[in-house]
Amino acid sequence: MRHLFLFATLFATPLSAGVPEALDEVILPGFSDFAEATKALSVAAQADCTPEAIEAPWNAAFDAWTQIGDIRIGPSETGALSVAFWPDTRGFTPRVLGNLIEARAEVGTDPEAFAEASIAARGLFALERMIYDADFNAYAPGSYACTLVRTITAELAGQGAALDAGWDGFARVMLSAGEDGNTLYLAPEEATRALYTQLLGSLEFTADSRLGRPLGTFDRPRPTRAEAWRAGRPLRNVLLDADAAVAQARALAGFDLPQTDAALARLHAAADKIDDPSFQNVKDPAARLRVEILQQHVRALSDTIEAELGGALGLTAGFNSQDGD
Amino acid sequence: MKFAPSTALAVLIASPAFAVEKAEVLTTYADIAHAGYEDSLTTAQALQSAVEALIADPSPDTLDAARTAWLAARDPYQQTEVFRFGNAIVDDWEGKVNAWPLDEGLMDYVSDDYEGPTDENDYAALNIIANPQVTIAGRDVDASKITPELIADTLNEADGVESNVARGYHAIEFLLWGQDLNGTGPGAGERPYTDYVTGDDCTGGNCDRRGDYLKAATDLLVSDLEEMVSAWGADGDARQTVTVDEDAGITAMLTGMGSLSYGEQAGERMRLGLMLNDPEEEHDCFSDNTHNSHFYDGKGIQNVYLGQYTRVDGSVVRGASLSDLVTEADPALDAEMKARLDTTMAALGDIKAAAEGGFAYDQMLAPGDEKGEALIMGGVDGLIDQTRTIERIVTELALDDVAIEGSDSLDDPNAVFQ
Repeated sequence: MRHLFLFATLFATPLSAGVPEALDEVILPGFSDFAEATKALSVAAQADCTPEAIEAPWNAAFDAWTQIGDIRIGPSETGALSVAFWPDTRGFTPRVLGNLIEARAEVGTDPEAFAEASIAARGLFALERMIYDADFNAYAPGSYACTLVRTITAELAGQGAALDAGWDGFARVMLSAGEDGNTLYLAPEEATRALYTQLLGSLEFTADSRLGRPLGTFDRPRPTRAEAWRAGRPLRNVLLDADAAVAQARALAGFDLPQTDAALARLHAAADKIDDPSFQNVKDPAARLRVEILQQHVRALSDTIEAELGGALGLTAGFNSQDGD
Repeated sequence: MKFAPSTALAVLIASPAFAVEKAEVLTTYADIAHAGYEDSLTTAQALQSAVEALIADPSPDTLDAARTAWLAARDPYQQTEVFRFGNAIVDDWEGKVNAWPLDEGLMDYVSDDYEGPTDENDYAALNIIANPQVTIAGRDVDASKITPELIADTLNEADGVESNVARGYHAIEFLLWGQDLNGTGPGAGERPYTDYVTGDDCTGGNCDRRGDYLKAATDLLVSDLEEMVSAWGADGDARQTVTVDEDAGITAMLTGMGSLSYGEQAGERMRLGLMLNDPEEEHDCFSDNTHNSHFYDGKGIQNVYLGQYTRVDGSVVRGASLSDLVTEADPALDAEMKARLDTTMAALGDIKAAAEGGFAYDQMLAPGDEKGEALIMGGVDGLIDQTRTIERIVTELALDDVAIEGSDSLDDPNAVFQ
């Protein structure tokens, strides 16, 4: 009978495990930081719209985004896409930005109206073009493009504030999982599973897209498909996103995850061997191999979390937004 | 008493004896798939005849008949999309017939404001119909004869770019309708029948090659569908894949339903297009048939759950269903699933009705169009809600430790440490 008893307690504990901790320690502070960082970016742009002036606050905002940017539930279900529209497989961002600038469209001068504009012209990746792409970044103070940059940053700050406020409300929905009146999460473990799905989805996206897209095939590597490569951020994003997934896993667990910590350390060690943080040298077989190894470490980290956290809590990931083609 | 604990344990862990056998549910599933692909094939054969008539005698009537045949062929096909995810045999094949979105300039002439080669695709404006000799990724290609082989082996996904779609429904759609140049305003593509008239009255240039292309692409579609009909036949490998292991088969059914509902249809096909406000981000963008394409995708998901499919001739394939299986485990969960599928179908039905009433799907994508946004988001919300219930069913049927090909989301949680 002793074994049966142990069996029962093992499965009794984890029902709502870690949801309050994940929200309080990682997710809510993450959205709060992103709101502050986008506000600082907007303030900087209103003072001086030039690429040199907004480069640092833009990077700080992107850093903040990596901590919560791959979450696709609650306010982020739809809200994340207009902050970070990527990958842009059909070149929408340069086309839509180019059209706005050529037409000197009024929508680009009004942050409130701009919230209705195509997501291709909004958020972090539109700003990346304006700051780093030679086709866009030669604008002068006082030009339409300068105003457009101010509009994009102001609208992005609005999105940051809206996400932050939205998550304060959504956190209450997650915390009341299984209670009467909660129609979204019918049991506590559904909220746990939702967060668990998000962090595994993030690692999957990093392996398949952040690393898989620039790798392409051996015969046809695609360096310009790397995420935010013009800004030199591809490797940084991979690492920050992985760190964030592990931080969420730790908070969700409430117990030590030594295997996961070790897997993350191996991932960082593999990253240290990469010369070009933009992955622009993946046409060189040796450089390519190092990026492939990094990709394997991201997948290994995901497998480790599944075993160490998912296994312990009896959790399996649900469907995520990357499922499909 | 000595045996009591182990007996108790055995009772605890023994599978409930289902009156509905999983094997029967899977048979229904495979039968519906087979019937759906058969209907797709016969309607594609009708399209093939109509295309031959158009090429033999181009006129407004023969063009119209070919378009009508294409539209009719879409309805059964879209109901089969639910069989893709979770079954690699289908998913690996699917890109041959339904790849989207496409850089149509690969195939034929396009408007002046069409983006030329892009960052992602050097061949977005290759125009194979106008150019019998081309170079693709450093290799000279002789395209003087447009054949199914040329399309399949050389043009489709040329240079490894997915949007180089040279075959399938959407390639044919483009050849029948042409680009929709109305933006988010009313109207679909307006390709004139004279694009297929050979001799002096030819418009758009190279009408004979355009006819060759249309014929080759249609023949290819028919042979591709023949392949899938046979894959779901009595000894077909797609059927084998889902029937050989019952739990894996049931998981494949649910994976197909969930992945199509959420990541694919709600996300990639509906919400993304809405947020981009781009009329090309609609699934059937040349013909303005997107409302039907979405509706029948949703219908296919419902078909799989209810274990019934109404064929193009009006007859019904039905049998033991996932719904029966869930009812035995938890009747309330079955009721929840049915209600959510109904809600989604009502929302997709609203989009269809609005489009048929003259408010086309691309008009719904216009920036700031609140009515269109509400219609589309109604469908998106319904699809997301039903995905949550599908997840509950996976848990309820205790299928969550089954590893499934084609879905990273229902992965094996017992993966070994590496």
